[in-house]
Amino acid sequence: MKKILYGTMYSFKEIKNLKIFYSFLMFALILISGSYFVSQTSFISQGRIMVDFSIFAISIFNIFIGIFIGASVVYDDIEKKSVFLTITRPIKRTEYLAGRFLGLAAAIIFSTIIMMLIFYFVLLIMHKFIVPAGYFAGNVKAKAGIVSHIKNKRVKSAPAEKNSGKNITGKLSIVKPAAKPFTFYSLPQPLIIQALFIIIESIFISAAALLFSLITSKALASIFAILVFFIGSVSSRMNDLVKPVKKIINGKVVIMHQANHALMSIVHFIYTVLPNFSIFNISSEAAYKVNVSAGIIFYRIVYGICYTALLFIISSLIFARKDIS
Amino acid sequence: MIDIMNATKYFRVGFFGTKKTAVENLSLNIEEGKVTGFFGPNGAGKSTTIKMVVGLINPSGGNIKIKGYPASDCRSRLKLGYLPENPSFPRGLKGIEIINYYSKLLDKKINKDEIYDALKLAGIFYAKNIHAHKYSKGMTQRLALAVSILGDPEILIFDEPLSGLDPVGRKEFKDIIFKLKKRKKTIFFSSHVLADSKELCDRIAVLVNGRLIKSEDLEDIEKEAASYAEEKKDNLLTGEYSTPLEVYLYDLMLKSRKN
Repeated sequence: MKKILYGTMYSFKEIKNLKIFYSFLMFALILISGSYFVSQTSFISQGRIMVDFSIFAISIFNIFIGIFIGASVVYDDIEKKSVFLTITRPIKRTEYLAGRFLGLAAAIIFSTIIMMLIFYFVLLIMHKFIVPAGYFAGNVKAKAGIVSHIKNKRVKSAPAEKNSGKNITGKLSIVKPAAKPFTFYSLPQPLIIQALFIIIESIFISAAALLFSLITSKALASIFAILVFFIGSVSSRMNDLVKPVKKIINGKVVIMHQANHALMSIVHFIYTVLPNFSIFNISSEAAYKVNVSAGIIFYRIVYGICYTALLFIISSLIFARKDIS
Repeated sequence: MIDIMNATKYFRVGFFGTKKTAVENLSLNIEEGKVTGFFGPNGAGKSTTIKMVVGLINPSGGNIKIKGYPASDCRSRLKLGYLPENPSFPRGLKGIEIINYYSKLLDKKINKDEIYDALKLAGIFYAKNIHAHKYSKGMTQRLALAVSILGDPEILIFDEPLSGLDPVGRKEFKDIIFKLKKRKKTIFFSSHVLADSKELCDRIAVLVNGRLIKSEDLEDIEKEAASYAEEKKDNLLTGEYSTPLEVYLYDLMLKSRKN
């Protein structure tokens, strides 16, 4: 376990210094910062455009990091022979692979956090899409509803204060609630969940890229991973498209249109076998600030983690038998 | 210490996966506390054999044991240090960061002094705070050597340790091997430079076309070489090789390759 941890730290340090990593990070940051200018193209719902655009940038660049670094993290080690010194130490190949993969996962988490922070500051400056958070929200409430708050307070505290002989005159200065030193704004729940889903999705696709890189070349591994991601993102919609169109006419269900059976089977097979990436895209919920239920979050996280673990187990089985020369 | 028993390795090459044998029925015993040189021409299968010993490649047949553990078992590498041919390190990390990481992979705790000792012995201590990708070939080789001798392993396996080094680097590297030899380490190294044989080795193994054609103590081979020199008085000591041992090994390889 300790060796995996050291491997993770070493791998993270190495990935952090890769040109490809910080190039993607820089591009994403430029796009997020530029989302303000894009939002100016619309007169209404500028905030929604900013969110949509930024989430797209964060998602796509993290997926790129997952695919391109995932395809090279072990492949380059083998090509450059730097793996020779590592796996000839008393370390299991699975431990080495786990260290490399977790290092990449840590890099993805790191990049997502950086991107989300920049996104948060952009929203904060624009004062759009942010909500006052928890304890620190008190000051805002006080400002907004100070009169009603004071009225309620007077009514509630009147009998007690009568008994104590104190005079309550209803002066605003007397009953003003204790003001909080500052107001802390946070991102709305769907945006935070979307960031979590982007992390899971990127780690998931990086596991696929890592697996492909162990059986083929780096370039092909990247292409295969992109294809898997693309098909996985549209397979759900395609499956819906080939479903028979039914209508209820005179109380009976009538099939209005049905696709070719062979086509239906192929699409259904792809939908079943390949991972469904569309479940990690909740950008519409994020753009409309629709809260995502805990059940959905849990199910999707478990789905992503299980699939990633499965891909990693297959990768480690292949890597354990691989001749490294 | 290291027992190689009937090890065979073949690779599948080309579109149809044609079988190509790299090492065939190789049996070799590497004795404790001795320096064993593994000689042979390019493509003889020396690196493949070494990679099988250190567990990078799985043998297609036969088995290899280090201190009783199969080579594929990570316990076999508990007291083993390996220096690969043309080693390399990832970009963006300093020499000290790299060696620190490798020290953590060992099963025993390595303190700072031990790390510094390894760096000093390998002659790369002065460059420990420089990024490894800025190192020259010789410096990279030295850092890899420091990594391999870290934790004072009993067995050291070097794959072409002197290849690509300049004359000064070669001399210094040989001196390091001599120091390790004095510490009674078991050293197994490959080379195609016959001049290294007499200087460094206690035992010599010769591999040609994947087959072991000779594995004897240096003294025995020297005797054979002397008698061979007697027979071949005419054109001895000419050309590239200047000692009877070198000429004997050269002719041995040449004949075996033709066969």
